[in-house]
Amino acid sequence: MSNFDSGPSIKSYNKFQDWFDFSKTGSIRVYSGKVDIGQHISSTLALIASKIVNINYDQVEIIRLDTDFTPNEGITASSLSVANSGSAIKAASITLKTNFINYALNHLNINNEDIQFENGVIKDKNSNKSISYWDYAETDDYKNTIIPEQFDEEVLKKITYANNQKIELKNIKEIVTGKYKYVHDINFPNMLHARIVRPHSYNCELVKINEDFKKRLIENNINLFVKGSFIAILSPDEFLAVKFSELAKNQIVWNENRKLSNDNVFNSLNTNEKESLIVKPGGEAFNEKIPEIQSFDQENIVTLSSEFRKNYLMHGPIGPSASCSIYSNNKFTVYSHSQSNFALKQSLSSYFNIDTSKVTIKFMPGSGCYGHNGADDVAFEASVLSKAYPDFHILLKWTREDEHCWEPYGSASINKLFGAINDNGQIVYWSNEAFSDTYLSRPSNEELYNFTSFKFLNNDFTKIRSKPKTSAHMGIHRNLDPLYNFSKTRLVKNLVHDLPLRTSALRTLGAFANITSSESFLNDLAFAKNIDPFKIRKNHLDDERAIEVLENLENTMKKSHAKPNNYRGIGFSRYKNSAAYCAVGVELNISDDLDIKLINAWITVDAGEIAYEDGIKAQAEGGFIQAASWSLYEEVLFDTKEIISKDWDSYKIIGFDNIPIFTTNVIDRKGSPYLGVGEVVAGPTGGAISNALRDALGQRIKTMPFTKENITSDLLN
Amino acid sequence: MSKVECKLNVNGLTKKIYIFEDKPLIFALRNDFGLTGTKLGCGLEQCGSCAVIIDGEKKLSCNLPAIDCQNKEIVTIEGLGTDTSLNSVQEAFKKFNAAQCGYCTSGIIITVSSLLEKKNKPTSEDILNALDGHLCRCGSHSVVLKAIESLIEN
Repeated sequence: MSNFDSGPSIKSYNKFQDWFDFSKTGSIRVYSGKVDIGQHISSTLALIASKIVNINYDQVEIIRLDTDFTPNEGITASSLSVANSGSAIKAASITLKTNFINYALNHLNINNEDIQFENGVIKDKNSNKSISYWDYAETDDYKNTIIPEQFDEEVLKKITYANNQKIELKNIKEIVTGKYKYVHDINFPNMLHARIVRPHSYNCELVKINEDFKKRLIENNINLFVKGSFIAILSPDEFLAVKFSELAKNQIVWNENRKLSNDNVFNSLNTNEKESLIVKPGGEAFNEKIPEIQSFDQENIVTLSSEFRKNYLMHGPIGPSASCSIYSNNKFTVYSHSQSNFALKQSLSSYFNIDTSKVTIKFMPGSGCYGHNGADDVAFEASVLSKAYPDFHILLKWTREDEHCWEPYGSASINKLFGAINDNGQIVYWSNEAFSDTYLSRPSNEELYNFTSFKFLNNDFTKIRSKPKTSAHMGIHRNLDPLYNFSKTRLVKNLVHDLPLRTSALRTLGAFANITSSESFLNDLAFAKNIDPFKIRKNHLDDERAIEVLENLENTMKKSHAKPNNYRGIGFSRYKNSAAYCAVGVELNISDDLDIKLINAWITVDAGEIAYEDGIKAQAEGGFIQAASWSLYEEVLFDTKEIISKDWDSYKIIGFDNIPIFTTNVIDRKGSPYLGVGEVVAGPTGGAISNALRDALGQRIKTMPFTKENITSDLLN
Repeated sequence: MSKVECKLNVNGLTKKIYIFEDKPLIFALRNDFGLTGTKLGCGLEQCGSCAVIIDGEKKLSCNLPAIDCQNKEIVTIEGLGTDTSLNSVQEAFKKFNAAQCGYCTSGIIITVSSLLEKKNKPTSEDILNALDGHLCRCGSHSVVLKAIESLIEN
C-alpha cells in the first residue's frame, strides 16, 4: 500500500457538497463530471462509493452531468473517467467515512469497539443511540471539511473494502425492457422535430431553393429554416420532417466551392505540405530539426524498413447523433450526449455572445461509439434552431447518411519504420515516422469552426489548417514512443495538411496506428533474428508490470495449441506509456478466399486497482472487437465528389459471425491508482491480428483493413 | 397529403391512429404509441435496431408501412414481459449485464426472443443466422453471446 493521490478533480472541487447529496434519506446521490457512454461509469462510480463508505450499492445513485451543478471534470475521454472521477469519488468517500466515524464516536461518546456500522448508520451496541450519514450531512463538520489531495498509508490502512464485487449495472433493467431514455426519445408537448438538409460534400454554398417546393412546405405546415447555407426542415410530426427533408435534397441548387482534394489519401499523405516535429522519449513533440535516419554497415546488424497504411475510420454509432434544445427567457437548455459538455456550454455562449450562465447542458444518453462523433455538431445545430423558434423544444436527429458522411473521422495515416537489430537480439536503432491529419478538432469557444455547420451558417468556406499539438502522447504521436528500451530512437510526427476529409478524436487517436505498426515491425525484426515474439518484448522491457502482463498472456496462451491452419499473433502496449498495460493474443484462420476468421482472443490487462472487474472486461473485449473491426473491415470510401460510405453496406463493420472466444485476465493492483481501460486494448489488438496474419501468409500485409483486395494487392507487391 | 385511419394491435392493445399512408411502423410505434424502446438506427434495414415481432416473425420496422401491419399482432420490446416478470431473454441479458450503450440491445432481444419462440434449442448456427444484420458498435457481442448461450444451456 502506498500513498493515494486524489487526482485533478479534487483540486477544483474539494468539498463534500461538490460530490455528495444526502437530501434523500436512505440514499447517497453522487455527482460526477464524467458521462455514461456505454462504459457504465455510473455503475463503477457507485460501486467505488458504496464499498468505501460502507453502504449498499443500491443506495448509491449517480447524478447525470448537468453543467449547472455537477463538477466540471473536462471531457469524458482518453481513458480518464475512472482515473479522474473514480479517484475523486474514492478520495471523497475515504474522507467522508473517516470523518463520519470520528464524528460518531465523539457525538455518541463511544469507542471503536462499540460501533455497529450498517447501511450508513452507526449504532452504539450498548444503547439505542445512533447517527447516520444523513444526520452527519447536516453538521458544520460535513459542510466545512476539505477533501485532501493526497492520503498517506496510515489513513488508507483504516479503509478496508473488497474490490471484486458482482453488481447489476445501473440502468440494465431499463435497457432490456426498452425503458432507458436516450436523447432520441425525448418528448415535450411543444416540440418540433428537425432534420438538416445537406449538400453532397463539405464546401457547398446555397444558391437557391425551388420556390414551388417552398410553397409546398407552407401548404403542409412545414417550417423551413435557412441561414447562410444552413438549411433545416421542422415539423411537429417527425415523419413529415423526415419525408420533406428527403424531398428537399432535389429542390436545392448548390455551388461547390471546392471539391474533395483527392481520392487516394495515401498519395496525399506522402506529398502534401506538412509540419514535422521530433518526438522525444517521454512522448512530447518538439519543433526541432529532424535527424536523418542512421545508416548501418556492420555485418552483425540486420536493418529493415517498412511502411504501414491505415485508411479513414468512422465512429459509426448505431443510432445517429441527436440533441434537444430550447431557448426560453433568453436562456438555452440543451440535452446532449456529447462527451464534452462543459466545452459545449462555453462554445454556445461564445457563438450566441451570451453569458455562460445562460446556457445549461444536460447530459442524456446517446448511441455508443467512443470519441468525437456528431454529438457536439448536432447539439450546436439544435441550439441554433431553438434560438429561431423560442419556447419550442427542438429535437434534431441526424440521419444515417449525416452520421456516416459528416462526422469527424479517425484520420488516415502512414507509419514509416526503420530498425536495426544485432546478433544479440538487441534493437539498436528504431525509427517511426507517423503521417496523419489531426485527431484533435473538438469544438471550443476559440474554435467554433470545428462545428461542421459553422461554415454553412456563415457562408465562409475558408480552409483552416490545424496546428500540431505537442504535449506528451497527444493526437498523432500518441504511443509513437514505444515503452521498449531500444538503444536509440528517432520518432517523428508529421501533421499533413489539406487532406480531404474532416477528422478528430476516435478511440485511441493515433495510438492504434502507431502501436499496430510498431508491434508488427517489432515482430519483423524478431523474425529476422529468429527470436520468439514474447522474448523480444520482455528483453526490451524493464517495467515489471509490463513484463507480468506479457507473462500472464504467454502462460494463458500456452494452455492450448493452435489448431492446424490456425495462426497466432501477439501485441502489447502501455496506453500513453502512463496508463493501463495490455497484452493481446489472437488465433485466426484465413480461408482460400482470404476471409479472416477470428477464433480465439486472449487479453491480459493491468489497469491498476480494480474498480469493477466485469466493467474492465467489458471494456477490454469491446475494445478488442472494435479494433478487430477496424483491422479487418473498415475504411471510409470517397471520391472527389463525395463520401461513398453512406450506409452500413458501403461501410462494413464486424458482426456477430466473427467474434472470437475470449479469455480475459485482469491483474489487480490494489492500492494503485485507477488507470482506465477504454482504449488500451485497441493497439495491441491491431498488432496481434497483423502478426497472426503475417504467420498465416508468410508475408507482412501493410495496408489496413485486411480485406481481400488489400491482402491481394500487398501480396502482389 | 391526407391521413388515413390505421388500426394497430401493439402489445395486446388495439388503437386507432390517423397517419400518412407511407409512414413506417417505427414512427407509428414511437410517436403515436409512445413506445420508444424500438430504436431507429439506419432506416435502411441494415442494422437491426428497429426489430419488432409481427405475428410471431421478427421484422424490421424502419421501412415497413404501418398500414400494412393492421390486423396483425405486433410485439415490441415493451411487450415482451412485464415490470415484475421479464421474459427469459431479458432476464438473461440483465443477469449478464449484456449491454454497453444499449441502443442495439432491444433489437437483439426481440430477435433472440423470436428465435426461441420457434426453436427451443437453437444451434450456434441458428443463433448467428438470427443475429446476422444486427450491428453493435460498442463491442458488447461477447457478453451478448454469453447471455444467449446461458439460455440454451438452461
